[in-house]
Amino acid sequence: MIKLKNLTKVYRTEELESTALNQISFEINQGEFVSIMGPSGCGKSTLLNILGMLDKPESGSYEFLGKEIAQYNEKQRSEIRKKNIGFIFQNFNLIDELTVFENIELPLIYNKINSSERKKRVDEIIQKIGISHRSNHYPQQLSGGQQQRVAVARALVTNPSLILADEPTGNLDTSHGNEVMDLLCKLNESGTTIVMVTHSAHDASFSNRTINLLDGKIVSEKESKLSQAAV
Amino acid sequence: MFKNYLKVALRSLNKNRIYAFINILGLALGLAVSILVFLFIKDETSYEKHWDGYERIYRTGIKADMMGQKMDAPVSCSPMANALRTEFTDVESATRIQTGRQEILMRHDQTKVYIQHIAQADSSFFNVFNYEFIHGDPKTALKESNSIVLSEETKQKLFGDQSAMGEVVNYDNRRDLIVTGIIKEPKGHAHFSFDLFISDNDVKNVWINNGWNTYLKLKKGADFNSFEQQMKTNFMKKIEPDVERFLKVSVDEFFKQGNAFEYQLMPIKDIHLYSHKDFEIQQNGNIMYIYVFLGIAFLVLIIAGINFMNLSTARSGKRAKEVGVRKVSGASRKMLIFQFLVESVIQSFIALCLAYILVIVLLPGFNNVLETNISLLNEYFSQTLLFSIIITMFYGLFAGSYPAFFLSSFKPISVLKGDFTKSKNGAFLRKALVVTQFTASTILIIGMIIIFKQIDFLHNKDIGFKGDQVIIVPIQTDQMADNFRDYKSIFLKNSHVQSVSRASFFPGDLPNQSMYALEGSQEQLPLWNMNVDYDFFKTMSIKLAEGRFFNREQDSDSIPTFIVNETAVNNLNIKNPLEKRLGTFINNNGDVQYGKIVGVVKDFHIEGFNQPIRPMVMRISNYTWFTAFKISPENASSTISFIEDEWNKLEPTHPFRYTFLDKKFGALLRQQENFGTMFLFLTILAIIISAMGLYGLASYTAEQRTKEIGIRKVLGASVSQIMNMLTKDFIKLVLIANIFAWPITFLLAKNWLSNFSYQIDMPILPYIFATVLALIIAIITVSTQAYIAANSNPVNSLKYE
Ligand SMILES: Nc1ncnc2c1ncn2[C@@H]1O[C@H](COP(=O)(O)OP(=O)(O)OP(=O)(O)O)[C@@H](O)[C@H]1O
Ligand SMILES: [Mg+2]
Repeated sequence: MIKLKNLTKVYRTEELESTALNQISFEINQGEFVSIMGPSGCGKSTLLNILGMLDKPESGSYEFLGKEIAQYNEKQRSEIRKKNIGFIFQNFNLIDELTVFENIELPLIYNKINSSERKKRVDEIIQKIGISHRSNHYPQQLSGGQQQRVAVARALVTNPSLILADEPTGNLDTSHGNEVMDLLCKLNESGTTIVMVTHSAHDASFSNRTINLLDGKIVSEKESKLSQAAV
Repeated sequence: MFKNYLKVALRSLNKNRIYAFINILGLALGLAVSILVFLFIKDETSYEKHWDGYERIYRTGIKADMMGQKMDAPVSCSPMANALRTEFTDVESATRIQTGRQEILMRHDQTKVYIQHIAQADSSFFNVFNYEFIHGDPKTALKESNSIVLSEETKQKLFGDQSAMGEVVNYDNRRDLIVTGIIKEPKGHAHFSFDLFISDNDVKNVWINNGWNTYLKLKKGADFNSFEQQMKTNFMKKIEPDVERFLKVSVDEFFKQGNAFEYQLMPIKDIHLYSHKDFEIQQNGNIMYIYVFLGIAFLVLIIAGINFMNLSTARSGKRAKEVGVRKVSGASRKMLIFQFLVESVIQSFIALCLAYILVIVLLPGFNNVLETNISLLNEYFSQTLLFSIIITMFYGLFAGSYPAFFLSSFKPISVLKGDFTKSKNGAFLRKALVVTQFTASTILIIGMIIIFKQIDFLHNKDIGFKGDQVIIVPIQTDQMADNFRDYKSIFLKNSHVQSVSRASFFPGDLPNQSMYALEGSQEQLPLWNMNVDYDFFKTMSIKLAEGRFFNREQDSDSIPTFIVNETAVNNLNIKNPLEKRLGTFINNNGDVQYGKIVGVVKDFHIEGFNQPIRPMVMRISNYTWFTAFKISPENASSTISFIEDEWNKLEPTHPFRYTFLDKKFGALLRQQENFGTMFLFLTILAIIISAMGLYGLASYTAEQRTKEIGIRKVLGASVSQIMNMLTKDFIKLVLIANIFAWPITFLLAKNWLSNFSYQIDMPILPYIFATVLALIIAIITVSTQAYIAANSNPVNSLKYE
């Protein structure tokens, strides 16, 4: 599904150039659950943003579903993104002025889904993540775990083939974190590809494979032993 | 403590430079406009106040309605001033003057100067109006006949640095006059401004002939109302014999016929702003301009004040953390309010300094447009300063108080937790303020267009004659006047001179009036006289409605025939004018001469459009002091020099002068045009201030919504969807503002238009145009901000929090 080859990202500021990603190459297949780990500042988020087409690589190739998209412009990237990819962030990034329902509905609006279909799909997913009694609440009125579940729901509602999650449990305590990990695992079981950045070895143990980054380079890649057991 | 506030205030300004720039410049523009308007109003209301006892000085006038023909003029008869002086104990002094509109040639030795503003005045003039004499004695200067008093400037023109007292000045090659006084330019404005005074103490004892202006000064403590009553009764008795002699009816019958006539008094301090009568000495100002400019200043101040409040509160998110930290460190709410007020007062005073710079830069242009001569550093400077400081303090405290109370009310815990942006406080107020601001701007835009439409309408109105390519040359000597008929052919030799004609006056000057009656009717009607020659209508391209023009075979000055205008036919209420004979007095004994009406011409304008067309009667006469030459558009300047050369041969004593008729007539519209230009200028300023405020507000809104924009983009929103979202709210506000602005402007504009005798129908287009313009301005300012926000990389914005 994803094929990276010699992908490099350089940040340039007035004083210095820093290479956030250095000649990264790997593949991710349909239905995999991949964790990315590494110390702070090693380039995990940068990698995820490029995978999610929020950012452009400096050089190298990025093949997504067989198409070379590394040099696509913003508009083309946005088209592919909204059809195929869902995002989950560490800090949830819900819109404060919108209710739970409206937040989840948002990507459907941008995908031009009609309103009755939208209602059906949002209701379905709210049911699934168990916050249907909260659908008219605003994000501030929810706990962190609930907020993240809403964020997951929002990422899922378009039925994306790829979910990108940047430290989805980073702001949550263990029990709330586990709720979210549960959701992700179920999702993966039903065939969705997941790429997740995490600092937690526990969370990473749910995945099929872990990629370790250091200073913008891949230092190791290993199949997770626990992956089968966890399911 | 205070020092700490000051430091924080200045640093905060420095840190938010764009915000501070918008805020301070907007305020400075608002203040500059209000200072300019203040100076203008101060100047306009200062008229006559430099005369000693100006509150006790009055101008007499008459108001009449004869056969539906209304007359309201500040004129009086010759003997009135004497009567006032001798028969009323309340009168300290009274004076009579007579003025002309023409330039007169004054000569001393070989120095010839045309002087325009000349008064023939009786010896009491300087008792009523206390001019400062450099030489001579105000009490006696105008006592002797053939005395002349010169203004300092006129003296300089005629005599240079030589002494002038007792010297001879020649008047129009007709009379020699002796200089008996030199006066200083008065310190303030008045409704007249004379370059020289000539003594005239002859009294013609006719009460019905009103060719003079009379002023009187009451004694200190005199009761105006009882004096006015007394004066009216006294003078109505005096006019009785003349009414009987000329109108052939008794006064009682005269009033019974439905006529009205009364004497009036007007305080001179009211003349400049409130007097718009017939035969004013100069065109006066208009209180309407003061109201309009006050209104503009008020709107601009509101607009700028709203910017100030809006931007300060919008920015509050950025200050919220500071508030939280200060509160946690022990600051009370009072102290915080004080701190923010100090900040806003400091900003307003920076704006005030900038405003004064703007005033200094703008004042010359302002003076130029309004034809005023206002300076900032005048005797009112301390008042101006006080006024501007009060407004500035008001801005600082009032406009600053909302942000101060708003910011200081933040709860430290919620602020430090980062909750402040979620509070919807202030959002509604901010919207209401933007609506108010755009209402004000839209009123100005619509008002501006309507004013320009009206001025344009007046410009393009059919004036009934063609003034382009017509030059007017005044005749100066009797010799020229007597023989001009024979001289015409000299000018017509030049093929570019299409026609030559004469008249007693041309459009742009004022005619005089006499009483006429149709043969067989007792009813007297005042009509406006015009003496013309045979080629007058041709030269002026005036159109015939009925009958014929004058011709040499059928008409002459000895066999009177008349041509009247359509208004006269209407006012006389005659069915078939060409069968009627019109009579008028030929001497002071009430003898009447009749003449046939041979033609009716279409109406043509001679005065500004604030006056309706007068009923006119024209006849052939050699008593005409203006000539008109219609010349071809080609080689105009060489044609004019040809006329000049020939003219100078015929009238060598007087240097040749000419004016273009269309310019002369156009001058009547100038006051309104100046006013329109000023309005345009102030409106553009107001729009700029609004746009600046909107720009600032939009940028803060976009900033506040950075995170939301980022999220929406990640979820697939396109740039145009984001821009749409950001712009939509503002557009709603602008539309709401228009709903308010339309009816308000409609009422104001209707009121303004009613000042004109000829007005446009209230147009609908300016309203639509203003709405569209306001929308365009809003969309441009807001969407540039929205565009920047929509194009920013969401990755960056999502990192925050
Ligand atoms: N917009 C930017 N401009 C310049 N440098 C950047 C920018 N974003 C990231 N970097 C740099 O790139 C490198 C990688 O950053 P990145 O955010 O990908 O790290 P990370 O692995 O996600 O760290 P963390 O675990 O703390 O989230 C860091 O050295 C960072 O300083
Ligand atoms: Mg990161």
